[in-house]
Parts: sequence; C-alpha cells; structure tokens
Amino acid sequence: MRKVFSVIVICVALIVPFAMFEVMPQIGDPNSAPNSHVSVHYIENTQSIANSPNMVTSVIVDFRAFDTLLETTVMFLAGVCVMIILAGVYKTKKRVIDPGESKMLRVRSGEKVFRSINKDVIITLLQPMILVYAVYVLFHGEVSLGGGFQAGALIGTVLLLDAMAVPDKRNFPNITKGTSAMIAGIGTFIYATAGILTLIGGGLFLEYEKFPWNVPLLEQHSIGILMVEIGVTLGVAGTIVTIMNVLLEKVKFDK
Amino acid sequence: MELFLAEKGIYFLTLLLLGVGLAGIIVCSNYMKKLICMNIMQVAVIFFFLCLGQKAGGTIPVAMDSMINAADYINPLPHGLMLTAIVVSLGTTGVGLALLYRIKDRYGSIEEKDIIEREREKK
Amino acid sequence: MQILSLEAILLISLIVIALVIIFVDDLMTAVVVYCAFSFITMFLYIVMGAPDVAFTEAVIGVLSTIFFIMILRSIKRKTK
Repeated sequence: MRKVFSVIVICVALIVPFAMFEVMPQIGDPNSAPNSHVSVHYIENTQSIANSPNMVTSVIVDFRAFDTLLETTVMFLAGVCVMIILAGVYKTKKRVIDPGESKMLRVRSGEKVFRSINKDVIITLLQPMILVYAVYVLFHGEVSLGGGFQAGALIGTVLLLDAMAVPDKRNFPNITKGTSAMIAGIGTFIYATAGILTLIGGGLFLEYEKFPWNVPLLEQHSIGILMVEIGVTLGVAGTIVTIMNVLLEKVKFDK
Repeated sequence: MELFLAEKGIYFLTLLLLGVGLAGIIVCSNYMKKLICMNIMQVAVIFFFLCLGQKAGGTIPVAMDSMINAADYINPLPHGLMLTAIVVSLGTTGVGLALLYRIKDRYGSIEEKDIIEREREKK
Repeated sequence: MQILSLEAILLISLIVIALVIIFVDDLMTAVVVYCAFSFITMFLYIVMGAPDVAFTEAVIGVLSTIFFIMILRSIKRKTK
C-alpha cells in the first residue's frame, strides 16, 4: 500500500513539471534571465568595488554579507541545539572498549590480525599539512579559491581526525564541548562586530567603506572581508567540534 | 541530442534524482536511511540552482585582467548561495543524528514499526 | 557543449547510487555508499564550473560520513 502510494506520488511529481519545461531557460544561454540582471553587476564590479578577484567570495562576504551573518548564526544554533538535545541522556561508562571486539572475533576465527602503524604515524604527519592549508585558504580566500567556510571545515577535520583515529592518544589539547560552543559564539560575535564598527563610522550595517580607521577605500574592503572570514572560520570550526564532542560522549569505540 | 539535453534532459534527470530521494523518505522504515535520503534530495536542489548559472563559453568565476566582459565568466551568484547551503546541511545532519540517538534511547530501536507498536502498547 | 553529456552520465550514476542506498539491507553499506555519492557529486560540481562549491562538498561529505559512522556504533546495523 505504502509503496504503491509513493510510486503514484513520484509519477505525478515527474509528469506535471515535464509539461512545464518550456518556461525554464535553456542551460548555457548567456542571455537568460538568471544571467542578465544583478549578476552582471557583481561580475563587472568585483575588482573595482570589493577588491577581491574571486567572485564567489565577494558575493558571499561583501555584496551579500547580511545573508551570511544569519547563516553563521544558524550554524552556531545547530551546535547549541545538539548540545541541548543530548544534555539529559546518561553517559556511556567506558568509551574505549579493550580489547577490541572485532579484533577478538578475528583471533577466534583464526584470521591474521593486522595491527596497523599507518593510523598512528600518518595522522601525525597529515595534521600539520591540513592546518597549514586551512590557514592558506583563509588568508588567500579573496584572491584564489576558498574562503572562510572551507577553512573552518578543514580545521574541524583536523580535530576530528585527532579524536577519532587514536582515541586514547591525542596530539592536540582536548577542547570540551562548552569551550567549543563558546568559540563558535565568539566567531559569530566577530562577524557582528564588523557590522557595528561600520555603524560607528557613520555608514550602514556591514558597509565596509565606512570603517572608523583612516586607510584607502579598497583596503577597507579587504580588512572587512578578512575580519568577516575569520569570524566565519571560528563559527564553523567551533560548531563541528561541538557536534563531534557531544556525539563522542555517547558512543563506544573499539581500541 | 545536445539541444534536447539543454532544454529538457538535465532538468528531467535532476527531477528524477529528487523523486528518488522523496521515494526513499516514504518507503524506508529506518530513520537513519531517511536522513541519508534527505541529503540526497538536497543535492538535487543544489544541482538545480547551479544549472541556472551555467554559461556556454564561460570560465570559472575568478577574475583575470585580460577578460573584463560579464559574458566570459560563469554566474557566481548561485555558487555563493549554495555554498552556504551545503555548510548548513552539516548542522542539520548533526541535529538529526542527535534526535536519532534520543529516539534510540527512548524506544530501543529506530525502526518505525517497532516504535508504533510500543506506542500502541502504552495505550 | 560536450559538458552536458558528461553531466547527464554523472547524474545517471548518482540516481543508480541513490537506488542502491534505498534497497540495501546493511546500514554500514548505505553510509559508505553515501560517501561515494558525495564524491561523484563533487565531480559534477567541478564539471559545471563551480570549484568553490566542489571544495566545500569534498570536505563536508567526509565530515557528514564520519558523523553517520559515529552514531552507527550504538545502533543495530541490520534493517528490517
């Protein structure tokens, strides 16, 4: 019954728009409606107004910065929500089970047991490289590909690898869930501070030309973009570490 | 062939991917599979938005000094909007997994049939 | 415009992978196949000329797969 119903729903949902494809623009047409109005302004003024050759970065954090402020707030709220939802559940007593269940199963069945050294050695080598790449992506985001979101996700990946690969031996200091949620909040606060500083200078919210310090106009845009991207990086990285810490408290692992 | 793809084919395949994700949400009775199918639906929506920004003969949206026309670059606006959507999807996945753990803790199972039976027994 | 044919091939493979995720019994298999899904999605974004989005999808796909596997340790792998 249920499967028949779902198939009927899907068929109706496929057939009805198929008759309406004539109203959609042809893919790749340079003169279609999405390619001809506001995006032309973004493409032509990205170097003269925003001083950033990467157009995606300039759209995210300069032309449409108010959108991104609320997106960062959504990320922060997601981290806090995960913390609140799992706050009342009791803790699992032993997080690391020793010896590993799967390993003992393989010993009993007579298979070979590989104790890999790759996990311990390669992770230690890999972590500083990912961190350097994250910092490069953050500070070079307005010139080449990348930006605040990617840098935050990379930093989160490093801490996640550290906690997941070898659970009882950590290379980085352990960040508790309260601290990481606080870091995410600080990131969102830095973003909002950039807006408040432009208000102090006499402009609109997040209008980068009106920063209160006295530097040339294009450099003010660069300072504003960098400040906002640092905030986004802290927000995303803090949220990822928060979700990881909260889930890690509840889950059991083999050694 | 190319004209058919540009006018109807790509849109139809995107719609089919959305339909498969929707069917997964309806058919699967396991809550974790429903979460994965939700992510599949989201990929279809993101792909649809990126379709609208494509331009024949355009390069990636990083400005070079030799090209100043707007027709030379792919439209960067859908990229900017969808990049934040992808990152926010990680947050929604995290909240979904937290709710999943909470359901497992309360009912002992994440199968829909088991949970409905438990609720009927209580009444 | 050979790009459109390439996109169509990648989209068809995405649909096949989505069907595999729906019909497979083991949850671990579903999660690992979902990782392959996001990998092919990354190729699709590169082909469309959106390298920024592809970069983000590559990192976020790995992260969400790891979150799924973390939760998978505390629930049953078999589905009914």
